[in-house]
Amino acid sequence: MKRSLFGRLWPNVTAVVLFIGFVFPVYWMFSTAFKPTGDIISEDPVWFPTDITFEHFKRATGVDHFWTYVSNSLIVTLCAVGLALLVALAGSFALARMRFKGRRGFVIGFMLAQMAPWEVMIIAMYMIVRDASMLNSLVPLTVFYMMMILPFTILTLRGFVAAVPRELEEAAMVDGCSRAQAFRKVILPLLAPGLMSTSLFGFITAWNEFPLVLVLNKEAEAQTLPLWLSSFQTAFGNDWGATMAASSLFAIPILILFVFLQRRAVSGLTAGAVKG
Amino acid sequence: MKRKLISAIGVAGMMISLAACGGDNGDGGDKAGADGYAGQTLTVWVMDGSSPDQWQKDVQAAFEKKTKAKVKFEIQQWNGIQQKLTTALSEENPPDVFEIGNTQTPAYAKTGGLADLADLKTEIGADWAASLNESSIYDGKQYAAPWYFANRVVLYNKKVWAEAGIKDTPKTRDEFYADLKQIGEKTDAEPIYLPGQNWYHFVGLTIGEGAELVKKDGDKYVSNLDDPKIAAAMETYKKFQALSKAPKDKDEATPQQGEVFGKGNVGAFIGMGWEAGIAIKANPKIEKEIGYFTIPGATADKPEGVFLGGSNLAVAAGSQKQELAKEFLKIALSDQYEGELAKLNGVIPNKESLQTNLKGNAVAEAAAPAAAGGGTTPLIPEWAAVENAPNPIKTYMTAVLNGKSPAEAAKQVEDEFNKRLAQQQ
Amino acid sequence: MTVQTERPPSGPVDVTKRDESGPAGPRRRAASRAGTLTPYLLLLPACAATVLLLGWPLLKDVLLSFQNLNMAQLIQHVTEWNGIDNYKEVLTGEDFWRVTLRSILFTAVNVVLIMVLGALVGLLLARLGRRMRVMLLVGLVLAWAMPVVAATTVYQWLFAQRFGVVNWVLDKLGWHSMADYSWTSSQMSTFFVVTVLIVWMSIPFVAINLYAATTTIPSELYEAASLDGAGAWKSFTTVTMPFLRPFLYATTFLEIIWVFKAFVQVFTINGGGPDRLTEILPVYAYIEGVGNQHYGMGAAIAVLTILILLGLTAYYLRIVLKQEEDEL
Repeated sequence: MKRSLFGRLWPNVTAVVLFIGFVFPVYWMFSTAFKPTGDIISEDPVWFPTDITFEHFKRATGVDHFWTYVSNSLIVTLCAVGLALLVALAGSFALARMRFKGRRGFVIGFMLAQMAPWEVMIIAMYMIVRDASMLNSLVPLTVFYMMMILPFTILTLRGFVAAVPRELEEAAMVDGCSRAQAFRKVILPLLAPGLMSTSLFGFITAWNEFPLVLVLNKEAEAQTLPLWLSSFQTAFGNDWGATMAASSLFAIPILILFVFLQRRAVSGLTAGAVKG
Repeated sequence: MKRKLISAIGVAGMMISLAACGGDNGDGGDKAGADGYAGQTLTVWVMDGSSPDQWQKDVQAAFEKKTKAKVKFEIQQWNGIQQKLTTALSEENPPDVFEIGNTQTPAYAKTGGLADLADLKTEIGADWAASLNESSIYDGKQYAAPWYFANRVVLYNKKVWAEAGIKDTPKTRDEFYADLKQIGEKTDAEPIYLPGQNWYHFVGLTIGEGAELVKKDGDKYVSNLDDPKIAAAMETYKKFQALSKAPKDKDEATPQQGEVFGKGNVGAFIGMGWEAGIAIKANPKIEKEIGYFTIPGATADKPEGVFLGGSNLAVAAGSQKQELAKEFLKIALSDQYEGELAKLNGVIPNKESLQTNLKGNAVAEAAAPAAAGGGTTPLIPEWAAVENAPNPIKTYMTAVLNGKSPAEAAKQVEDEFNKRLAQQQ
Repeated sequence: MTVQTERPPSGPVDVTKRDESGPAGPRRRAASRAGTLTPYLLLLPACAATVLLLGWPLLKDVLLSFQNLNMAQLIQHVTEWNGIDNYKEVLTGEDFWRVTLRSILFTAVNVVLIMVLGALVGLLLARLGRRMRVMLLVGLVLAWAMPVVAATTVYQWLFAQRFGVVNWVLDKLGWHSMADYSWTSSQMSTFFVVTVLIVWMSIPFVAINLYAATTTIPSELYEAASLDGAGAWKSFTTVTMPFLRPFLYATTFLEIIWVFKAFVQVFTINGGGPDRLTEILPVYAYIEGVGNQHYGMGAAIAVLTILILLGLTAYYLRIVLKQEEDEL
């Protein structure tokens, strides 16, 4: 089948246009962060930074408590994601592989939980935490973030567990493994890509959250990076250089994690599905 | 029953696993020791830019020397401060002492979140200027102590004005306008940077017109924006705003007008004296070009009306360290440190006798003539709700600047304005 | 992050084969008794967490919605019940209904844009050569991975009135009135920026997952279709679409939830302004409750918001309910 030149060309041209559209905001963030202020505030945009400066990064990281924010963010995010995976793994295994009364109810329950609009319940959460004398602590943050990502994690993992061929598990059990052993030795390794891609979602959610931490933790020692980033515009006025440097720093861990995990996650899904 | 047990186990499990995550920053206890205040730390919230580092250091030293206790200053941003303060005051460990805007004080006094400072007033407040102390009194009781006050002036770029061939600073509103026009014609600078929502300046103009923002309707307060005097104030604002390229829907902090001015291509702006510091930080070379003058009024004998902004210091009713907090106030508001603050920041101190500290301060000398005719927003508890974003007065201003008549704009925001004034307390 | 479809892409899982048909023998009885408890035990931590961490705040929120809770009550820890006053005030006011309608329209426009454009990009991915595909995938992943707080900040800079690159481009393209245009000055322009941001952030999720799903369609299905004489369009409607349908349902459901709750984007770009004209329900609840320190009222709006979201997703939930029934 012979396609016309136009027929061959348009998908590629569209792809290039789309690529530029999707990448440009990310590119502009990084390039602004490295440009000297004179190039940022100029009548004609400087498309490619020629003389690179680290000035803005210095200002962004020079803020008091910066490293506390970094470590708080890491602790809260990693703990929330780890906990959610652990709790979800058990639940999703039951939902995907077992038959029991009320299974449907559980699935619907988690779907409903996934819809919870957390932003509007902030004051209720604040009052609970306040009355429990747990303000300015990372513990409530961690458990609430865990809860924010738990429903999605369970439902997604359930799909991954279901995609692991049942025969493999049965074969292992015929070979004398207990069900728990079969799970650990056969299913878990096959689930790795699923776990990774699910954790990615959790990581992004927890890393980004700021309305809750804003009311719960007033002390800088217990605050996280999103607050640092969102306070930038008030603190630095229209200093776009420093703001973009801060945004870049904030985005980098996620970008790295994403580029690293996304391929495995998608290929994991496809591979699992095809084999199944 | 069973469910309860189950969830309890779940919680216990979670807490154990979380212990590994760590990071609990529990506050150290602050029990009053038998041996005075040694070992205690007093938390004081001050607003960004309100007190210089030098002042904080000096007060800290004096406080430690006198009480053996420490004081920790925590800098707060104005943006979202009411929400932060309300929740903080409801907590176990509220800030012991905090700075609070004079227009916001009545609302907080009414909530019961502020401690009664009657004895402090008797002890150190006998000669506090009555007009400055007005906002601290609610229902006959003293709920805060007046700290410092300030009003806006015109900050101008001497170089730009010289380029335009202007020799003297203007004495009347018309001269001011003519000068700005001349800058627009003779230079390529923006004559004045005046964003559409510099609402404190607008409030000043209404005070100059002798207008009130609210009026009483029975036992309720309602909008008075349809008063022709308010419309007149808004027309003045609009006339000057037309000379500026600044956005009509932004206030003076986004972007910071000081930074815009700092670039050196703006003739003037209306702001607080300390905003010069922002300009200098953005561009150190501008320092020698900055001059100040009183905002000119309709006639030469009476400067423009100004909003007399200011801050009080209050003690949280929930603070465990009431006595220590009062000790702090006695030091911070003493003639020595109140005077030092006036001197360093060029702000109006709470006693007339301390105004000598302002001599030679260009900002204060420009600000002082207008202060006498200054005023505030209505000092009623209902007012605090009006200032919450989106502030209906700002909406009103933008609407007029975008072409609506003042009457139409007043009508547009009336419902929102009245709703806020009528909010259940 | 991948989408969980109710039926994994490989088609319905064989759920009828159950462990009861597993190893038989003397231990079977005891094992099956333990077996009936196992799923509940496995679900226990998840349920406990949900009840404690979601159920409790939710209950608290409902309780608050029947209270007169403002600055004074919050500070003094006073509980003042006021019955259904908050609901009465919200439901009889015009604002709430206006905001609700706006929220639904906003969600509809965004979800339609995301799904249509996302599906088109996904199909384009399937059509591209390897090199172009990898390039586009990289672009999509970068946009997808931008944390929302950072993305929102970047969009403010792109659309800044002065020195914003968007205005500069529009000016150079000959649209000179846009040179100093303030995107936050009107309702429509603010929504435009928010929509561009949300669509930009959301397309990659739909496109990449849809592309991944299409790669799992067995080629025999297409062969069979072409043997039956089906053209490109016919095989698309008879093979591709049915295969992708569960996936599309699930994704639409997620996008509805995400867009409806797009608090950060709307709030950060323009705070619901100008004149409160871009407030969607979560922003409205926040401004009335936290912003105006009218917490009981905010809680009532929150409860109503949740009910409306339930209404919007009811159709999908019914499908799931039915599907789960079939599987048992």
